[in-house]
Amino acid sequence: MNYNSYDNQYSTSYGAQGGAGGGGFFPGDGSQNSPGSANRSYSKDTLRPVTIKQVLEAQPMHQDGDFKIDGTEITQVTFVGQIRNISNQTTNITYKLDDGTGAIEVKQWIDSDASEAQIAARPKLAENDYVRVWGKLRIYGSKRHVGAQIVRPVADFNEISYHLLEATVIHLHFTRGPPELPNAGAAAGAAANGAYGQQQQQQAGYGGGMQDMGGNTALPSMSAAAKKVYNVLKTTPQSNEGLHQQVIAAKLNMDMGEVARAGDELLSIGVIYTTVDDVTWAILEVD
Amino acid sequence: MSDATPRILATHLENFKHQNVRILGKVTQLRGEHAQIDAGGLITILLGRDSHLTLNHAVEIIGKVQQDLTVRVLASTDFGTGIDFGAAAAVVDATHRYKEIFYGDE
Repeated sequence: MNYNSYDNQYSTSYGAQGGAGGGGFFPGDGSQNSPGSANRSYSKDTLRPVTIKQVLEAQPMHQDGDFKIDGTEITQVTFVGQIRNISNQTTNITYKLDDGTGAIEVKQWIDSDASEAQIAARPKLAENDYVRVWGKLRIYGSKRHVGAQIVRPVADFNEISYHLLEATVIHLHFTRGPPELPNAGAAAGAAANGAYGQQQQQQAGYGGGMQDMGGNTALPSMSAAAKKVYNVLKTTPQSNEGLHQQVIAAKLNMDMGEVARAGDELLSIGVIYTTVDDVTWAILEVD
Repeated sequence: MSDATPRILATHLENFKHQNVRILGKVTQLRGEHAQIDAGGLITILLGRDSHLTLNHAVEIIGKVQQDLTVRVLASTDFGTGIDFGAAAAVVDATHRYKEIFYGDE
């Protein structure tokens, strides 16, 4: 089974979430935004896989229309469920969806300007079909529903398993932090899988059971000297002050100027940082 | 959530007597009103009038676990032949390990 094909459609939003949740580089984490900010920024939009139980239990926030799950603001959500009931209204189609964890109404608005061809192209859905929904949680009166952009039938039933596991991973990511690197053991593995990018690290971590995800790591391109310096920083026992560039130069038997250039390169791609002064560096790690 | 239907395998039947559950298994025997499915172990199921099972296909049933650990089918959905039962078993494990997002009050 190739699960990666499912994965592709989310990779963008995961990257964004991972960066905010895991690293603390960006003040993008929902909890740090001032709740009163009037200007809605679409840059913090996320698309999160959830269970219907999570949707039903999402906490409303102060300003109207926003919710939190696991303490993190949600915008778009996606889930997989089985249609229990279809009700055709004049302005929308209401589906009652059940995924085993709960049931919720999903409303898809009817576009009255749609052409005949567009209407004909819509997937035909029937009761008991499994579908995947993308939409936004809304509240009307005291009743919750999801306003859906897309409701499409599930073609491969493994998508149900995939979705539930994915929702679990994301839940654990927000409640327990990103997973630790699978212990690559060999130094080569450590260097290749190292903490170059958080997204990468996450994928390697999450990928535990899925071979395709862990091994294939595209590193930021860097010079050979920069790689050597990085590896020394990575493998030499050190305090949290890191290593002085003279120490690195001595260890690698490299010219000071060369080490300085390599250091600049590593600093510019954000994999090391300066500690007590400009010439003492440590590896920037997430954990 | 009262209308939740926990996903289980044969080994969990004992803990879900008289409850509605969801089981994904492979149809191994069809005997009129009874059938047998393999979901981490064999389970005897009592078919409803509308259940249409196909031998060797994966089927998801929603049913009620009886005192004798058979399952009375309320609804069934044919999942065809391409199901990864390893992934399905992982889902059952995850849903009970991280209950908070799947079933129960907390």
